[in-house]
Amino acid sequence: MTALLTILLAFFQLAPSSQNTRCFLCHGKESFGVTEQGQFRSLFVSPREFAASIHGKFTCVQCHVDVKVIPHFIRPQKISCLQCHFEGNTAGAPVKWMPERYKESVHAKALEAGNPNAPDCETCHTTHYVKSPTDSTSTTYRKNVPELCGRCHKKQFEAYSKSIHYKALESGVLGAAVCTDCHHEHDVLPPSDPRSSLSPEGVVRTCAKCHSDTLLMEKSDVPVQQPQAYSESFHGIALENGMVKAANCTSCHGHHDILPASNPSSPINPKNLPKTCGKCHPNADQNVAKGKVHIIPGEKSAGVVYYVYTFFKWFTLIVLVFLFVHIILDISGYVRRKYARHE
Amino acid sequence: MRDTSRDDKKLDDLTEAVIREVEADENVKLDEEFRSGLKEELVQKVRQHLEAKRKLEEIRKNKEAKAREENFPRFGLNFRLQHLTLAIGVIILIITGLPIKFHDSVVSKLFFEITGGITVSRIIHRIGATLLIIVSIWHILYITASKTGRNDFKQLIPTPKDLKDFLQNMKYLLGLSKEKPRYGRFSYIEKFDYWAVYWGMVIMILSGLLLWFNNFFLGLVPKFVLDVATEVHSDEAMLATLAIVVWHWYNVHFNPEVFPFNATIFTGKISKEKMIKDHPLEYEQMKSRSREMHADEK
Repeated sequence: MTALLTILLAFFQLAPSSQNTRCFLCHGKESFGVTEQGQFRSLFVSPREFAASIHGKFTCVQCHVDVKVIPHFIRPQKISCLQCHFEGNTAGAPVKWMPERYKESVHAKALEAGNPNAPDCETCHTTHYVKSPTDSTSTTYRKNVPELCGRCHKKQFEAYSKSIHYKALESGVLGAAVCTDCHHEHDVLPPSDPRSSLSPEGVVRTCAKCHSDTLLMEKSDVPVQQPQAYSESFHGIALENGMVKAANCTSCHGHHDILPASNPSSPINPKNLPKTCGKCHPNADQNVAKGKVHIIPGEKSAGVVYYVYTFFKWFTLIVLVFLFVHIILDISGYVRRKYARHE
Repeated sequence: MRDTSRDDKKLDDLTEAVIREVEADENVKLDEEFRSGLKEELVQKVRQHLEAKRKLEEIRKNKEAKAREENFPRFGLNFRLQHLTLAIGVIILIITGLPIKFHDSVVSKLFFEITGGITVSRIIHRIGATLLIIVSIWHILYITASKTGRNDFKQLIPTPKDLKDFLQNMKYLLGLSKEKPRYGRFSYIEKFDYWAVYWGMVIMILSGLLLWFNNFFLGLVPKFVLDVATEVHSDEAMLATLAIVVWHWYNVHFNPEVFPFNATIFTGKISKEKMIKDHPLEYEQMKSRSREMHADEK
């Protein structure tokens, strides 16, 4: 069966365009469609755009396998991407972990539960015009991702569009965080799932992925020590060791509408800090703005803490050298006295 | 058993030789009866001397053993309980605190796994902290309100003699002098231990309270004060732990003179032998004081 399919596919691949011209005789007309329950449904597929897509070299019937005769008079079945994108396929379709992980995602779960609006592969990748995510005209191209997700997640997109991330993206920093950097593309999991990139512990790793990337941060002139400083802070240590309520990145920075401290509406703007810290520390007042955040004690930028650290470093060293020398003298004195007595 | 017949024979030969020497000197010949009487007398005399010598030796040994067994009270129950509370508190604090400082190490991860995470270990840490705070208040009361406490505290205050003792001890340890410094109730080593704890307690309790009641203090002090408290708490903890493990444990456990364990702080007793060796001045003071007391009684 597989062998037969291979031969068949190989045959069709020889002259896909000539095969497709028969389909496009009808489907290539913009006005082509059917009326279902009083509503017009377009059945138009742009031959030009299809040819430009990543599947352009294939024939229509390679996916629509139930179309045996052209013209067809029965409605073809809904096709599945997994027809080709499965492990061990012979069509050369790239198979990664994506479809498998998608099955675990909130999207797949919602679809399974019967939500007709939950996205399937084609919702994001389109049906006939699938393009590589590196293609700037693709729906899944980094710069197009926010709008793609925003088609359904309108509120989130609105908040995100105010953020520094979106601003950077718009100004041409392609590495700026888009939806999928934090939520992932296929394995979108709820924050309550411990495997999620957005679980309290996951958030820290998710933000650190970019924010400890020196090259990327240099491009946007963002300090790179934050994730390290956070993981050395009590918040970081506590979160890492089981205190879920400890502040993670988003507790203070927000998430979709992340803004730099200089922005007056940012939760980390000095003026807003009492309120932000106050979420957990109700006594917080203007005092919380007096002092640096994300400090590494051993670095001069830590200010007064650096001097405390340096004092203790030398003090401890000197005291211990003194103690060790005293102990060694004590032992050597004991040994010599004992030796002298034996003589 | 001693071979008495052989000893007698030896003594017999010896006295015989002595008598012969005297006979030769005086150029006389003593008769047999007189000679045997003289011999017996001489043997007895030598025996008596030997016996006396043996007895003296025994008395000396007994005295030494007695000095080793005879104990002096060194620390009262109050003082010992303070140390015990402090020791338990500090051990709890070190065990629950170090994993936070070294949170990346495998041992720390294991610790958090066993205890059930930082949410549990921080409670244990605060139990230790409470013990430490209790003992610090207790000690302040002890050195102000109690007579023994006041007296002990006075003797713990560093004096120029401690510097002299230190220099003398260095000479002694280096073999430049044969004389060991003569310490009073507390040697400079013990004083150092005491004041190191004093300094450590003040720093750890103050910074610890700032961190424990961070929400309360956030309304009082700028954030950088809490940052300093965090740093100080972590650094001083390290210094204190090292001082305890290196210095204190050497002096009371690993020092070859006391190995494996100097129990005085738990039993409160010190042997007369050690008293004379380690605290000669205090010993002399005690002796003269008791002499005065006896004189008063008379």
